[in-house]
Amino acid sequence: MKNRILIVDDSFYMRTMLKNMLTDAGYEVVGEAANGQQALEMAAATKPDLITLDVILPDNTGLDVLKGIRQEQPDVKVVMCSAVGQEVIVNEALESGATAYIVKPFSEEKVLEIVGSALQEAASDQA
Amino acid sequence: MKSREQEYREMFMAEALEYYDAMSRHISELERNPTDEPALNELFRFMHNLKSNSRAMGYNAIGELAHHMETIFGLIRSKEKSFTGSVVPVLFTGIDTIGEMIRAVGANEDLPEVGRLMDNLDRLVRGEEPVLEQEEEDDEDANRKLELSDLVYIQIRKLDHLMNLVGELIIDRDRVLTLSQEIGNPALVAAATHLSRIADELQYSVMDARLVGVGSLFSKFPRVVRDVAAAEKKDVELTMTGEDIQIDRNILQIITDSLLHLVRNAIGHGLETPAEREAAGKPAQSHLTLSAQTERDDVLIQVQDDGRGINVESVRRKAVERGLVAANVAATLDDDAVRAFLFEPGFSMAKEVTEISGRGVGLDVVKLAIDSLGGQLRVESVLGQGTTFTLVLPTSIAVKGALLFQLDQRNYAIPLMHTDSVVSLMPDNFNVVGGVLITRVQEENVPVVSLRKLLHNGDGPLPPAVKADVQGRQDIIIVKYNNRRLGLVVDRFLRQQDIVVKPMSKPLDTIDLFGGVTLLGSGQVCLVLDVPALTRLFLAKRP
Repeated sequence: MKNRILIVDDSFYMRTMLKNMLTDAGYEVVGEAANGQQALEMAAATKPDLITLDVILPDNTGLDVLKGIRQEQPDVKVVMCSAVGQEVIVNEALESGATAYIVKPFSEEKVLEIVGSALQEAASDQA
Repeated sequence: MKSREQEYREMFMAEALEYYDAMSRHISELERNPTDEPALNELFRFMHNLKSNSRAMGYNAIGELAHHMETIFGLIRSKEKSFTGSVVPVLFTGIDTIGEMIRAVGANEDLPEVGRLMDNLDRLVRGEEPVLEQEEEDDEDANRKLELSDLVYIQIRKLDHLMNLVGELIIDRDRVLTLSQEIGNPALVAAATHLSRIADELQYSVMDARLVGVGSLFSKFPRVVRDVAAAEKKDVELTMTGEDIQIDRNILQIITDSLLHLVRNAIGHGLETPAEREAAGKPAQSHLTLSAQTERDDVLIQVQDDGRGINVESVRRKAVERGLVAANVAATLDDDAVRAFLFEPGFSMAKEVTEISGRGVGLDVVKLAIDSLGGQLRVESVLGQGTTFTLVLPTSIAVKGALLFQLDQRNYAIPLMHTDSVVSLMPDNFNVVGGVLITRVQEENVPVVSLRKLLHNGDGPLPPAVKADVQGRQDIIIVKYNNRRLGLVVDRFLRQQDIVVKPMSKPLDTIDLFGGVTLLGSGQVCLVLDVPALTRLFLAKRP
């Protein structure tokens, strides 16, 4: 089965780039959310295997979204997307249950590597 | 030609300019109310996005400036700094500079010098006083430029309307040209010629505005292929080429389902399972190619698989079983003619109906969709090696090349897409076989029928043709549809011309022999014949 991924980022450009990278690599992108509210709704509706979550979002911070999702879906893998200079938030996110993080600007290799290993972790959780 | 790089770039530009506009707005709000938290959060967020996007695009100078700006907005947000005093003009200058940089990137110009600004931002972070110039201290940039995005989104409905108006204009242009030549006034002729040139250019500009890359449809297929292949337990590698080929957006819309059907069909029925392939000595992984290319004014889209190929003999057998053709006739048909039965209504090759390829929808539906565009659907196949479906599509819907001719003093047009050749033959070139007039064109026997009789014979079958019907030289248009040629005897050929086909209005729209009407420069109405419908009518009424 193909792994299903939800993308959360408030930049259309960033979402498109991520989506292209992930679909080109054979993942199924089940949705794109542009803010925290959408992210929570879509995560509940699509039950993805993995979520890429931007740390800065218009309504909530990514951290609040992470906590919200964790409550509902403890098993979903969440990869935080941050930029240089947000180490504090990233650290807090990892403590709050994020699986991994990617630092922008993304390189395709890096994204696929991190997403791939997060999903592998998911597979071995189940085994 | 739009590559993915270019799409990213356009997307980046559109979003960056949006961010710039929003930041300009929010910083003014912040100036009015220095503790406006939502405005501050938005400034921080947009600056952050701009930084990430710029770096992803490789516009590091913008990324660097945005990073510095973000840092200061971050400090204001965490109350380590306040939006007062010399901080204000520096941040205003920063946002203005970011706007200039985005515009410079868009215009492929050199980026503005930002050394002093960066230095001031660094000073602010360190808690030092920035070095301001006079105009910054004055705080008002009277020369600030207003900039709008270069990209507009437009509803296709508005483009359709524009296209219809251009269609009307082209008809009037032809009329004015004809009139001016009849009147013969040189000044009028010159003006009409100029008008004609401008109308042409306008038509091509509007057509051009409606063109999109085939890639915008192709890009949906990697996912479709993966899903269908998984469900059918096939191992399929998809290759796509020609994504940059441009075609009218509405044509792309109309062929979407057809392409989806062809791709599902190819995976469901055309391609074998890995085990079957290995048993046949083929690589386990199968290949599916989606390609687009231009050929003269047409766009060719192909769905090509390296699967089992079409078994002509089982198609032949099935066509007879289904009563589509008599057994003795079927035996004489060549492979192309047999494969054409695949497009007949109700003919379905699938032995069993699977979930994916669907029930009841056959290639005939695909054929109808392509016909409705004035296009063609072809199939080529080599048993054991694979099958290729080719969609021949017009680049644009609105204007078609057509052959004009006369019958009973009326003007008619036949789209060139379906015209094979035009011949003028003497009576000794004809034979009568089974009540049908036959002539040889390019080494092939082609049935010939009087268009007058075909159109005006009522509902019953045509009376059997006799050689005595053929008197004097016959002007014949050979049309081709679904691999069948048919000769239509007309009174007189007129000329070849680009026409704007308009749909027939009620109640005439029920007469499906005519694809529409067009107006000629002379103001005369000209019916446009629908070759697929005419061919079907001939097959139904042949004696």
